Amino acid sequence: MKQLLSKADPYRPFKIEILERRQEVKDTFTLKLDVPLKHDPGQFVQLSIPGIGECPISISSYSSSFLELTIHEIGMVTNTLSKLKKGDTIFVRGPYGKGYPMKETKGKNLVLIGGGCGVAPLKGVVSYLDKHRHDYGTIDLFFGYRSPEHILFKDEMPTWKELYKLNVSVDKAPTGGCYTGNVGFITQLLEKSQLSPQRNAAMLCGPPVMMKFCIDILQKKGFHEDQIYISAERLMYCAFGECCHCMIKGKFTCLDGPVFRYDQIKEDLNEEH
Amino acid sequence: MAVYVLKKGDLEKFLLFLGKQGELIAPVKKDEVRFEPLKDPTDLYLDEQTYIPAKQYFFPQEQVLFTFQDDMIIPVVAPIKKRIFFGLRRCDLAAIQHQDIAFGEHNDPHYKKLRKSTILIGYQCTKKLHHWCFCGSMDLPDFYDLMFFEQEHHYQIDVGSAQGETLLKKSKLCRKTVVRISKEQKIVPDTNLLQRKDLGKHYSSKAWDSLVKKCISCAACTTLCPTCYCHEIKDDVPVSLKEVQRKRTWSSCQLKEFSGVAGNYTFRESRSSRFKHRIFHQLQYFREKHGVDLCVGCGRCIKHCPPRIDFIKVINKL
Ligand SMILES: Cc1cc2nc3c(=O)[nH]c(=O)nc-3n(C[C@H](O)[C@H](O)[C@H](O)COP(=O)(O)OP(=O)(O)OC[C@H]3O[C@@H](n4cnc5c(N)ncnc54)[C@H](O)[C@@H]3O)c2cc1C
Ligand code: SF4
Ligand code: SF4
Repeated sequence: MKQLLSKADPYRPFKIEILERRQEVKDTFTLKLDVPLKHDPGQFVQLSIPGIGECPISISSYSSSFLELTIHEIGMVTNTLSKLKKGDTIFVRGPYGKGYPMKETKGKNLVLIGGGCGVAPLKGVVSYLDKHRHDYGTIDLFFGYRSPEHILFKDEMPTWKELYKLNVSVDKAPTGGCYTGNVGFITQLLEKSQLSPQRNAAMLCGPPVMMKFCIDILQKKGFHEDQIYISAERLMYCAFGECCHCMIKGKFTCLDGPVFRYDQIKEDLNEEH
Repeated sequence: MAVYVLKKGDLEKFLLFLGKQGELIAPVKKDEVRFEPLKDPTDLYLDEQTYIPAKQYFFPQEQVLFTFQDDMIIPVVAPIKKRIFFGLRRCDLAAIQHQDIAFGEHNDPHYKKLRKSTILIGYQCTKKLHHWCFCGSMDLPDFYDLMFFEQEHHYQIDVGSAQGETLLKKSKLCRKTVVRISKEQKIVPDTNLLQRKDLGKHYSSKAWDSLVKKCISCAACTTLCPTCYCHEIKDDVPVSLKEVQRKRTWSSCQLKEFSGVAGNYTFRESRSSRFKHRIFHQLQYFREKHGVDLCVGCGRCIKHCPPRIDFIKVINKL
């Protein structure tokens, strides 16, 4: 296991080969890379293509032999990344940031709540839990997507159903389609659930509005702010606290986050606007 | 440390001597006053604060970090000649020290490379250079190889480092004196304008609103600030298509795109939140992390702000 961090130049990335490219859904794909990266779930890497640019991507796997990144096509870099195939090379540096508190929450029950592409880093957490299942109590997964066509990681879902309490919902489903699962915002499933705040910790990743509503529900169920961990997304370039783009008031998303304990970032988020 | 004396009439000779020791860079007046290579000692211009600070020499507006050639990363190796800066004010010097902290924290080799072989020679202001100088509020350190203190017929030169003293001795134009520089000499009169305080509690204060509303997001403040160091990374493909350059360029927290993420979502969407972010980074966040304010009180960001937003007034009222 290694880290792709250059002592001589923190901006210098490393050339890595793509082992596999999987289309997850229409606009989202996963790259499996030939690097056993030492990292924590929730950390991210900087991925780049020379001449196109660099962007931060969360690690969606937890393995000692490869690294997986699940990427949503949204602009220059991510669209170009989507055109790469097995055997091509890309540039990677990392890991960066603070991930989810897997050690601190050992022995507890966990709730993982993800929306859309925000499920990707949580999949890294789930892969970690697969390997450390006995260290934790009950594990509830709440994953929400826009439509049945947007559901990520369908191949993993049978295993997740066996090991964890898996809840999946889509905002909208076409009438007459073959989708038979839950329809409605993921908040509705969360609200209906029998979650107890006792010995529990919640890990969230998703669009800011979705996280806000989920936090409200968790608090109504008795969760304290220090039991809730959220992953923040900010524009960033250096990923090590120098370019200053990702500052949330005085905190750096790339160094102090992207995963923050809610009570430690709440006021900053509220005041930022 | 030791103090030397140089006769006023010998300044030109001294500058000529410096020009032989390395590239001499000092304030000159062209379209604007700026730090430029000093070809002729009579071009030296010390009557105004430079419009553009010395920052670009260490943290250029655009810098190639490395290039990609056929998927290989090639570091940029350009020999950096020795550079001697003359005429840096106390604020200019402190600004360099604060950027040393910002880039030093990450052991940034691209900054270090340009910063390495420099000699910093300061020139103490005897009166404020413009209305908004507030260096007197900022507890600026002694950070120089040499510092000139103007007297009626001569300069007292305070030695700040061994390489500074070596230079003075080599020039054979200066003599050592037993006189010491007093504390008063280091302070510019009437520049204690800002009441420094813990701004942490005052982010949401209404006091900001009326003044800050006038900001037009032109980014003059961050561009001319000697300490602002926010930047972005971009790839550039020259027409030859031979090599890709990965570049670092300045960016401004006053612009909306500074913190936009996918999905058309912008953090700090309002101008006032961006204005406050700049002031808080300069006068609160940097201190929380590094124990010293980033701002050095040069006042450029007030003097050159088109609507002239004087945040000193706001902070003093908080
Ligand atoms: C810590 C972190 C983890 C992330 N993890 C993932 C992930 O696992 N999967 C995924 O698909 N995306 C992830 N993102 C978002 C991803 O970095 C951006 O979508 C990507 O940078 C867009 O780059 P682009 O060149 O394709 O788009 P551009 O053409 O540059 O722009 C498209 C949009 O993305 C925004 N954007 C551009 N650069 C960044 C940036 N560096 N950070 C954030 N937003 C940016 C722009 O403001 C614009 O709105 C993560 C972002 C962060 C900060
Ligand atoms: S110079 Fe003045 S108007 Fe321009 S961005 Fe800065 S504060 Fe706003
Ligand atoms: S914030 Fe303004 S006064 Fe402070 S160093 Fe920058 S330009 Fe000078």
